[in-house]
Amino acid sequence: MRKIETTLTTLLSDIGAFYEAKKWHFLSVNGIDLGEGKIELQWIFSQYGVKDEIVIYYALSDYETPVPSIVSLIPSSIMGEREIVDMFGLTVDGAESGLYLDEDSLAHPLRGEV
Amino acid sequence: MFKSMLEAFLNLFRPIRTHQYPAEEIVLPSGYRGLIEYGIDACIFCDKCEKVCPPGAILFYQNEDGTKTYRYNPWLCIYCGECVRACPKPEEALWQSETKQQSALKEEGANEGWFVWEEACKQSREAYAAAKKSAKIQNKSEE
Amino acid sequence: MKKTIQIPLGSQHISLLEPIRFKFECENEKIIGVDADVGFVHRGVELACTRSFEFKQVGYVVARVCGLCAITHSLSYTLAVEKLLGYVANDRIKYLRMLMVELDRIHSHMLCLAHTAENAGFEALFMQIMGDRELIMDVQEAISGNRVQFDYISIGGVNRDLTPELVALIHKNLGLLTGKIDALIGLFDNNWSLSLKYKGVGVLRLEDAYIYNALGPLARAAGLATDVRAETSDFPYEDIGYTMILESTGDIHARNFVRLREIVNSIAMCQNIVNNLPVGEIQEKAKGKPSGEAVVRVEAPRGELFYLVRGSGQNILDRVRIKTPTFSAIPAMMEVFKGAEYADAPAILASFDPCMSCTAK
Repeated sequence: MRKIETTLTTLLSDIGAFYEAKKWHFLSVNGIDLGEGKIELQWIFSQYGVKDEIVIYYALSDYETPVPSIVSLIPSSIMGEREIVDMFGLTVDGAESGLYLDEDSLAHPLRGEV
Repeated sequence: MFKSMLEAFLNLFRPIRTHQYPAEEIVLPSGYRGLIEYGIDACIFCDKCEKVCPPGAILFYQNEDGTKTYRYNPWLCIYCGECVRACPKPEEALWQSETKQQSALKEEGANEGWFVWEEACKQSREAYAAAKKSAKIQNKSEE
Repeated sequence: MKKTIQIPLGSQHISLLEPIRFKFECENEKIIGVDADVGFVHRGVELACTRSFEFKQVGYVVARVCGLCAITHSLSYTLAVEKLLGYVANDRIKYLRMLMVELDRIHSHMLCLAHTAENAGFEALFMQIMGDRELIMDVQEAISGNRVQFDYISIGGVNRDLTPELVALIHKNLGLLTGKIDALIGLFDNNWSLSLKYKGVGVLRLEDAYIYNALGPLARAAGLATDVRAETSDFPYEDIGYTMILESTGDIHARNFVRLREIVNSIAMCQNIVNNLPVGEIQEKAKGKPSGEAVVRVEAPRGELFYLVRGSGQNILDRVRIKTPTFSAIPAMMEVFKGAEYADAPAILASFDPCMSCTAK
């Protein structure tokens, strides 16, 4: 498992240079709350046909900064992005809320202070 | 297509595959995971079964004289057997039988009665700890 | 200007097992646009794993995310925690865990085939496949005590062992099942009314499978050679005779055949495991508290299941991330519907084998 650090501003260019549709399989977007208002966001890939090859791109952010969307490169990432909008209360360009939660549910449940 | 029609015709003469319950008894296999049974004479009150139970179906009530009372909720239990594996005396104090548990009737008060007991166990623990602490402070002030 | 109408395949429908709502934009009878709403059964399992339960109990909590693939969830979580504790299971434990995963795959694929046959109108075949599936349910109940929620795996090993009577029962039931699956393969291939409903319907092309990251039998039926059993070294799958099943046409008929051939392969693997089980203990002590980050992938019957567990040396974990196979396959599913006729939509949906309780955890 390899972890590569990136930032939100260079995200699209880093993943654009790395991803090839026939070689890498995109798993999911993930968010981990680190406490004190900081979040670690992860984009996870694995390689077709090779054993135990998993690559994770991670970036540190907070609750207010909007996260760029990678739907233009990888169309199936829309599900993971809608999920972090609901679970953490972030803003992602082109992903609307309401995948899991309704208007009267507990808002952004996976943040640390809940 | 003709093979299917022949099969469908022959099925008229084959025996029924459905289990005719309740006219026919259901035979449970050996090693069926049934109710948890308790033997109070061998229990050492170490609380390991209470800590390890995933849904919290075993609770101990702390009496004022230092002993504990065991209570088990068969409708919250998932019959996983973790309590039996955690017990230091698995065959004498706590074991899993092969009896199937019955559904709860309304008069048994399965939900509301359990919430009352849960609250009472928590408060008995806090009262016991507070009594011990004040006894310790009193002992120290007497020395 | 052509007019389009919106027809819902509602959250409650006769052909659905679990709630999902689609809104189809139709032009006369052809579907040209799809909108999906999942998340009707969201229960908040990821939050419960990090607040109310200790790490030894979370294995029982995540098993209840899904009914059909319960053992793959609890196995993935247990493997991730064992990696954090630095414990490697001995061979007997690995083989017993693989046995239960393959038995689970057989009964889940049979349920999907029965459901697909029912949506094509052949209800007698649905009853017959469900009756034959009882052979596997009897074996599972005898080994673990329950038909679906096994509660079989704990940190450090498995909970029950195999006895000689169980071995005899496994051989007898798997032998009976082999004959019935061969008859099913002949029927799904040659029956005239089933081929009208299945051949050439609901096609996913290979380029779309690469673009939309399809997984599981949906991808293997289109020709994409991906299977976690060949891409992980946590389990010795080559030693017991695993082969990857691929088809190339990508329609419903190809998906059925991928599932049928996987059942035949799984029956051979189970018999291999039971005949060559190594000796050893079934439960060992794994001490310590989990700290660090670990990643595990396991092949569930519907695709690839992914767990990421992070802990910091205490009883309660920091993060449990669950990525289920149907959640990733929803964009590929929405792509398959475009261009199909509206009357075929229930049959196409049943051939994907969607598990909504996994998606909306």
